Formats: sequence, C-alpha cells, structure tokens
Amino acid sequence: MRRGAVLAVALAALALAGAVWQPHDPDAVDMLARHAAPSLSHPLGTDHLGRDLASRMLVAAWRTGLVVVIVGAIGLAGGSALGTIAAILGGWRERLILRGAELFIVVPTLVWALTAAALFGLSPLTAGVALGLAGVGPYALFSNALTHRVLGQPFVLAATALGAARLRLMLRHVLPNTLPLIFAYVGSQAGQSVIAYASLAFIGLGADPSKPDWGSMLYEYRMFVFDRPMLTIWPGLAIAAVTWTLNRIFDPPTAAASGGAGLNRGRRRPS
Amino acid sequence: MGRHVLAIGLRAAASLLAVSALAFLVIAFMPSDPVMIAIRAWNLPADPETIAGLRAQWGLDGPLPARYLRWLAGFVSGDWGRTFRTGEPVLAEFAARLPLSLSIGLGGLAFACVAAVPIGFAAALRPEGAADRASRLLAVTVQAVPAFWLGLVLVWVLGVKLRVIQPFSGGPTIVLLAAGLVALHSAGMFARVYRRDLIEQTGQPHFRTALAKGLDRRRALWRHGHRGAIYAMLSAVRSEAGWAIGTTAALEVLFGLPGISQFLVQSISARDFFVLQAYVMVVAVWMLAVNGAIELAVRRLDPRWRESQS
Repeated sequence: MRRGAVLAVALAALALAGAVWQPHDPDAVDMLARHAAPSLSHPLGTDHLGRDLASRMLVAAWRTGLVVVIVGAIGLAGGSALGTIAAILGGWRERLILRGAELFIVVPTLVWALTAAALFGLSPLTAGVALGLAGVGPYALFSNALTHRVLGQPFVLAATALGAARLRLMLRHVLPNTLPLIFAYVGSQAGQSVIAYASLAFIGLGADPSKPDWGSMLYEYRMFVFDRPMLTIWPGLAIAAVTWTLNRIFDPPTAAASGGAGLNRGRRRPS
Repeated sequence: MGRHVLAIGLRAAASLLAVSALAFLVIAFMPSDPVMIAIRAWNLPADPETIAGLRAQWGLDGPLPARYLRWLAGFVSGDWGRTFRTGEPVLAEFAARLPLSLSIGLGGLAFACVAAVPIGFAAALRPEGAADRASRLLAVTVQAVPAFWLGLVLVWVLGVKLRVIQPFSGGPTIVLLAAGLVALHSAGMFARVYRRDLIEQTGQPHFRTALAKGLDRRRALWRHGHRGAIYAMLSAVRSEAGWAIGTTAALEVLFGLPGISQFLVQSISARDFFVLQAYVMVVAVWMLAVNGAIELAVRRLDPRWRESQS
C-alpha cells in the first residue's frame, strides 16, 4: 500500500508538471536530431521527427490525468445522484431509471466513447465525458442497492419516524453512508479508464494528431517497432504504471487475495 | 425452457430498441451535415436539387421521430443504407467483416474459459502456492497492460527477434495471436473468479462432508466445487464480453485486420453515419446474444435455478 501511495504521488506530480512545463516544446520538429539516443537534453531520446519523447510523455500524462479525473467525477456524481434519486422516487420511476442504467451496460463503454469521438473529435474532455457518462449505469445500480440497504437501517427509520424530510434524510443520513463505498467502486474502475482512453487514442477516431497521447504515440510509433522498440516501450510502460498504481490503491492486494471484499463481487468493468 | 427463451428474447429486443433510439439521437446531433459530406465524397454537383433529392432519399427531411421510424423499418428489413466511401450496402460490408471480428472476440473468450479452469483449479488447490501466485500475477498484469501494447511487444519479440511470425500480414497466425491476446486478459480474470468460488465452497458444509467421507482435497474440489465455480465464471463472462469487444477493436487496428472496427475507423474519416449507427447496433446485438446465451446456459445447467423454477 505504501509503495503504491508513493508511486501514485510521484505519477500525479509528473502529470501536474506536464501540464505546465516540458523540457522541450513537445511539437518542435528537429529533423537533425531524429531518433536521438537518450542524453541529458533528451532524457528519453527523440522520435522519428526529432521531437523530444520525454516532453511528449509529460503532456500525455497530463491529458490522461484529466480523463481519469473527469471520468471519476462524472461517475461519482452521476452514479450516486441517479441511484439515490431512484431510491427516493420509488415505484415505476425507480424501475425506469434502473432500466435506463442497465441500457448503458448493453453497449460497452468504449463503443459509446468511440461514437462520441467519431462525432465530436477526441480530446481529454470529450473522451472523459463520454467514458464518464457511459460508465454511470453500473454506478447508479450499485448506489441504488446501497441506498436501499441504508434505508432499512434503524437510525434511518428513526429519522423518518421523527419526521425528517426526504431530501434532508438523503443528505444527512444516506449519502454520508453510501458515498465512501461508491467512491471506492468508482476508484476501482479508474485504472480501466486509463486503458480505455489509451485504446481510444490508439484507434484514433477523431483524434488530433498534433496532440500527444500515450495511445496515439503507440499508434504513431508502431511502425518503428522493428528498429526503435524503445519508442513504443515508454508509452506502454507509462500506461501500465498508472493503471497498476490506480488498481493497487483502490483494490489493495490483501482484498484481492481473499477474493475481494464484498464490495468488489461481481464488479463490472467499463469497456 | 421455451418460456425463458421467449422472455430473454423479448427483453433483448426491448433493450435493442432503446439502444437504437439512443444511438440515433446521439448521431442525429452530429455537428456536420451528412448530405454535404456525401456530395463531396461522390463528387456530385452541390445544387439545391441534388441536396433535396438526397435528403428525401435518406429521409432526412422529416421530423426526428419520423426519421427514426423510417431508419428502424429499413434496419429491420435489411436496408442499412450505403456507405459514403465505397457506395456498397452497409449490411454487405458488415456481413463480410463480422466473422473475423467474432472469431477474435468470441474465440478469445472461449479460449479463456477453457484455459481458466486448470489455472484456477491449481490456484485453489493450494492457496498461496506457486500456481495461486502466478495466476494472481497474471490477473494483476493483464488488468494494467493494454492488450494492444502487449500485441506490439509480441510483434517485436516474435516478428523481429525470433522471426516466427509475419506481423501485419493479416494471415491466420495473426488472427490466432489476436484471439490469444483477448483470451489472455479474460483468462486472467476468469481464473480468479473460478478460484474464488472454489475457495468459498471449501467453507461450506457439503465440502467438509466430502472431506470427512475420505476424499482428498483435489477430488473433493473437482467433484463438489467445480460445477458451482463454473456458473460463477459464466457470470463473469458477461461483464468480460464488453471488454473483449473493445480489445478486439484495438487489435484490429494494430494488426490491420479487416474486421468491423477497422471498417468503422476507415469510414469515420468520411463521417459515415450509416456505418456508425450500424456498428453500435451490431455491438449491441453481440452483447445481448452473449448475455442471453449465458443466462440460458446457467438456467439450464444450474440445479439451483431449476429447483426454484419448478
């Protein structure tokens, strides 16, 4: 856990640094320095156009971080709101909301995101919103089930008996109990959103080729795998490191070893 | 049994209808006009007559609900529109490419189910043993490493270092490699689910009875745990199916395999909205078919279900 936390802080710092500073202009083409070996000025070397690989990796880290935050925020807010509201409304309106949530599971998250990328172009914002919205379904179902469980607790029944309004009941008694669990669930899927975004950028629908992403770098550099394998190794390692760290933070190995906490049973991953 | 098939079919049809409406709505808000794109793509004269003609032909001149119903009627009767790029019927293009995508995606899932049983069984036989650790490592790795990058690394190792495959040739070896990569991810997940269910059952009274009867752990697990664990694994296949479609899409692009996702990528540069809509529908049908098949299989095989039904 501690190792995971240290790595997480380091990766987050790199992503934040990538937002404001890179050693070189990530788009500066330098045909004299094509495929340069790693050096002090180019720590990871340069690509086939002489662009500094480390700078491109840093920008891509920031873009990936944005996607993770957007997907997580939408999943947490949308999922808990929908699930809780459905539980308050009850009856046919609840069934309608839950059916709607199930609908999003029929078409994989990645395919909804592909559709959005095809229509509106691929950027961290569109990808984050699309992946986030498409992923809301499972969270809504999960938070709805949790809300019902909390609603059956004695303290909630007591509050109801005391005449607490429904909105107040939700804000004071239900959400504080369900939100941490929903947060953990959303977090356990955060690693998957990194891979989903990398896949989207790799597939490249509507992507802006001038903006570096780990996925689009892998696509661009795949032709050089024969002669310059390091160009494809670095982005891949970055994706794996970020995903592994996120998975480890939100799903500690002790829980995985014992078969996962009750929370993770039947977890669905966005795809 | 027939009743279940009917119920699952009806539910799937309702979901499909809702998905189609949703996809239609999203695509209708596309920022660019498909008619202008088609005129550019086919080099037609951009006069008002042609534009109005195309609009009428595609039913783009009516209100949104009418357009949707018209599209739906066409879709059901097999008229999926024509692609802008080649002018071929979309249905024919999909029919030609679907077998490849299905063999990668579903083939990978099937491989994974077969591979996961021995791995998961060995892991459950000795918790914290070598097999258990290896299977956990596999699960953690495949969750962190995208399949298309693993494919790229394999291209380098097998194609460049060992020279045993011809990458980007699109031959049967490449299809097999792609299916294997889909299988690797799923096998890692399935093996853990299978193992977890087996281990959970070791705490059950019926398992302890089997041990007391004199069976050793291996035979008791196989005879009294295996079936239940298979059902747990089948449920995991449902959530994995969507993941497999995404992986298949990325692998088609990586290896240049002519599947439906590669077709989508090629068509999208022409803003081919018929293809996009058809793609969403095909994927939805694929998912619903997998879900339905698994639900039926579990209901049919699992005695707990059969008892509760009678």
